[in-house]
Amino acid sequence: MWQERQAELLRGEIEALLAPLSDASGLCALGKEPLAKASRGLAAESARQRPWPLLPLIVCEAISGHYEHALPAAAALQLLKAAAEVFDDIEDADSSASLSTRYGSAVAINVATTLLILAEKSITRLKIRGVEDYLIVRVMEAVNSAYATACAGQHLDLSLASQIAVSEDIYLRVAYMKSASTVECACHVGALLAAANQELIDTFALFGHNLGMASQIANDIQGITHGSDIVKHKITLPVIYALTHTDGETHHQLKLKFVKPSESVPDTAQIRDLLFRSGAIHYATIKMEYYKQRALDILSEAERAGGSVERLKLFLA
Amino acid sequence: MKSQTVQELVKKVFGDEKTKRQFMSNPDSVLARFALTEQEKRAVLKTHAKLGLVTSNSQQLEAAIDPTAIWHAPIP
Repeated sequence: MWQERQAELLRGEIEALLAPLSDASGLCALGKEPLAKASRGLAAESARQRPWPLLPLIVCEAISGHYEHALPAAAALQLLKAAAEVFDDIEDADSSASLSTRYGSAVAINVATTLLILAEKSITRLKIRGVEDYLIVRVMEAVNSAYATACAGQHLDLSLASQIAVSEDIYLRVAYMKSASTVECACHVGALLAAANQELIDTFALFGHNLGMASQIANDIQGITHGSDIVKHKITLPVIYALTHTDGETHHQLKLKFVKPSESVPDTAQIRDLLFRSGAIHYATIKMEYYKQRALDILSEAERAGGSVERLKLFLA
Repeated sequence: MKSQTVQELVKKVFGDEKTKRQFMSNPDSVLARFALTEQEKRAVLKTHAKLGLVTSNSQQLEAAIDPTAIWHAPIP
């Protein structure tokens, strides 16, 4: 299958970048850990089920019919995601399996920094694949801009963490900045490396934007269904809906959990039930589906412009 | 997305038994009362077709969400 082939080539590209680290006692193995997690570039799972790391390659191929020259860019994005995960674990300090918990912050910070540097190095490897200098610069600009936006989004999210009056507009802004911008970037880079015209590049970037928004909302729904965001009192889209559209005892219970946590705080299962019964999860699911519908419409537009978009529909199933 | 209109729809369906029954049997008749865009309508109907009313956790909900959620890895 084409997914397995692309995934194998991507793994080879990432392994080649990590190989020079193998002399530095354990650094290579530690760097591989976040890359081997589900839906990351070195994951052992079937790429057929989890094609996310291949997104830039699939976009590139959809436009130009080729993708091999884009492998270093896809590898760079995987390295950036892996670095972000390691940094995130250091900040949250809530995972017993994280590198920072097992080896300490100093080692984890060094691993994450190494992954960031390798991501930059990976982009320069586009030259080996015959990509022209001006295009490499455009890829660097796209990647750095997207990740600067993501860091700004994270800062905004951290700044808002203690504020109770988070609106849906603010939620959507943060969701775009800290998460959807990176999916948009993957599509943007894929289209750039296909040497598409600007209109088509913008079309695929917009597809990525909407796919990324759907993905972030899906993640926030899971934060409720799995309970992790309830435990952390994290105010995400379902909670914003429920706080705005409920009253009486339901509203009181939600406020106790998310706004004024106290000793008499309701348990996670009770809160989850309230969020389901108020329609908050249903609303968030519709919102996720809305962004998928937008992404589908954009794919139709790309198809009319000559793109071969069938494989991208996998992400909208 | 004019979120407010979709919010009103969901609030009505979940807060009013009569509307809920109508929506379950004939969602289009309820949608006609709300000024939704075509994409919003499709989103509502697709969600309804896949999951009905999402009132509790289910394997279907997880199956609908999981493949889409998987990209996410937070920026620190």
